[in-house]
Amino acid sequence: MGWELATFPAALLGDVPDLEGVDSSVVRPGEPIRITHVLDAVEPRIRPDGRPAFPTVDKAGAGRTNRLDGVVVLPCLDFMDEERPLHEQESLVDMAGPGAELTPFARMTAVVLSFRPQPGIGNGAFEEEARRTTLRVAEDLARPTLAAEPEHVETFALGSVDEGLPAVAALVQLSDLGPLYYQYLYGVPVGDAGLPRIVEPAELMDGSVTSGEYHWAALRNPTLFFQRSSLVRALYREHGKRLRFAGLVLMRGYEQSAADKQRAAEAAAELAVDLGAEGAILTADAGGNSHTDVMLTCRACEEAGVRTTVVIAEMADPDATNPGLTDWVPEADAIVSVGNADELVEAWRPERVLGGDVLLDGTPAAEAGPIPVRNYLGATNQTGQLELTAVTW
Amino acid sequence: MVKVVHYLNQFFAGLGGEEAAGTPPTRLEGSAGPGRGLAAALEGGEIVGTLACGDDYFAEHEEEALSRLLELLAADGADVLVCGPAFGSGRFGYACARLAAAAPIPALAAMHEENPGVAATEGRAFVVPTAANVGGMRDALPRMARLALALGSGRELGPPGEEGYLPRGFRRNVRADKVGAERAIDLLLAKLAGETRTEVAGGFDRVAPPPSVTDLSRALLALVTEAGCVPQGNPDRLPAIRAQGWLRYPIAGERGLERARYESVHGGFDVTLANEDPNRLVPLDVVRALEDEGRIGRIHDTFYTTTGNGTPVAASTRFGREIATELRDAGVEAVLLSGT
Repeated sequence: MGWELATFPAALLGDVPDLEGVDSSVVRPGEPIRITHVLDAVEPRIRPDGRPAFPTVDKAGAGRTNRLDGVVVLPCLDFMDEERPLHEQESLVDMAGPGAELTPFARMTAVVLSFRPQPGIGNGAFEEEARRTTLRVAEDLARPTLAAEPEHVETFALGSVDEGLPAVAALVQLSDLGPLYYQYLYGVPVGDAGLPRIVEPAELMDGSVTSGEYHWAALRNPTLFFQRSSLVRALYREHGKRLRFAGLVLMRGYEQSAADKQRAAEAAAELAVDLGAEGAILTADAGGNSHTDVMLTCRACEEAGVRTTVVIAEMADPDATNPGLTDWVPEADAIVSVGNADELVEAWRPERVLGGDVLLDGTPAAEAGPIPVRNYLGATNQTGQLELTAVTW
Repeated sequence: MVKVVHYLNQFFAGLGGEEAAGTPPTRLEGSAGPGRGLAAALEGGEIVGTLACGDDYFAEHEEEALSRLLELLAADGADVLVCGPAFGSGRFGYACARLAAAAPIPALAAMHEENPGVAATEGRAFVVPTAANVGGMRDALPRMARLALALGSGRELGPPGEEGYLPRGFRRNVRADKVGAERAIDLLLAKLAGETRTEVAGGFDRVAPPPSVTDLSRALLALVTEAGCVPQGNPDRLPAIRAQGWLRYPIAGERGLERARYESVHGGFDVTLANEDPNRLVPLDVVRALEDEGRIGRIHDTFYTTTGNGTPVAASTRFGREIATELRDAGVEAVLLSGT
């Protein structure tokens, strides 16, 4: 059967609903606008059968889902100045200027939702409300597609193919470091979602994975990058041509002890073996010790006889020749670099700022710059969504 | 007119062979030896002076040699320094690399790509690749001249392949013709077919460990952490991420790190448990007990701290060197380094 994804034109985007506590605006590519404190990016989706587009109970990746092409919902929120164990990092989308090259959202019609502070409710509840509202709005915005004809429909199914082709699995890392650094599987922080585990590849693209992870913006995988996963789409496309798509394993980033890291790495490798994979592509989320999880998993896979490619971002001082990988194992000998997050982007003056006028470091958003790549949402995301890479000069 | 200063060893400068390898730095007017061929290739540039130094002298008195050569270089007021070509010669290549790296003006050194001098530039100078021996002179000089003119005129340089220099080790972002996911599939299929390629090489500095502490019961032990442990209120404003330096705080006479007096400002992990008991960051309570039992000689009166979170390797390396120097000067023989 497989899963059907029906594409509808952006022109169907209706009015943005009035929401209490939210300033909303619609902005378009090329407008001289900087959007700050961006939490996530979500593609408007709805299911004609009435089941939720971002399910918490039902299984995703079956039946049909409608999508609005070239539209993105960008929630913005400036967390309140109160005690919290982990701190969000600045996250920008520039709709024009040099920063616009770095994020695909600058080439989409963006529905910007700026959540106004709600003193007293606490950052945890504030974030949860913003996240749920964003997903609800993304679903509402796709509602006009229910009465329209799709431009085209893609079917995602893995039929049986030549057994002689190499079997390739995707091992996709999702973060769970603590409050404000969570990604969710069916609405549950991934640390509580029984990872590592095998899911249908189509599930990943059908709203089962959502993001609430506010670490370095460039190293994030916003929800849209799962909905539109370049990796899963490419593996479907190559299935039966150059490879057999063996399946998808979700694994956790930020296991909290050395023993747990090793255990989780071995468990993920075991699932790759269970899928019959001869090779695996390992992706990462965020930075720091989540890279250790990826590297240990790389080693465990290689030791289990599954050859690996690792997709990772560099954080290399632009003025030094030191290595830019946070962690590395000798088994990681085929790495895709999705770019150096520490490179600087030349200053650019927007005419308007949405989301908040002052960056988290205190500089006025309109006058900031040069700004490091790491502050641009998804710019060096580590699922291989984009074209950016780094080369040696 | 781009003003060029040329650096050669005793042999190429015509001062003599091995017997002249001990010659200290000297300056010759205009061009010398291969400099004549270089001058001919420098359209729009001229060699104003030639600096020379014996290979042995440079190797044995690097600091003096460099400082004298830099003085001579400064006196010429040149736009660009050209060193070599050194081809496969290790000593000459090293001298070219160190001088080019130390020069306050744009500089290039020419040598074979496997010459150990290439690494000695530490990315601070451009290296023009040459053949392994002097037979490559005719080929090298025009390429050196072209890059020298580009550097001397202040033009912004293109990528290494286009401009004819070896990659220096800096990582620059570029847009590939495929997305990362497609490149990952290509790399994986190639690896499965027996051809392993990578877009970035891993690898770290290997630091040789010092000899073991022979008797810990007599040793001075220091506590160092990157856990962002600071006195309550963070009086010196240690950043939660991307620290620019490190701090030290006195702990003489303290039995442990009391919760009321210390906290972690590290922005890279959930500090809730750490802040319940700061000894979990810097285990002063336990090492004091070991000191009382006589199992550790003495605890150093100061602990060192920074936040190791998002810090570039170059900065971390500097912090480590600075802290290690202070510890060594204080006679510290052992360090308990708590990481997070």
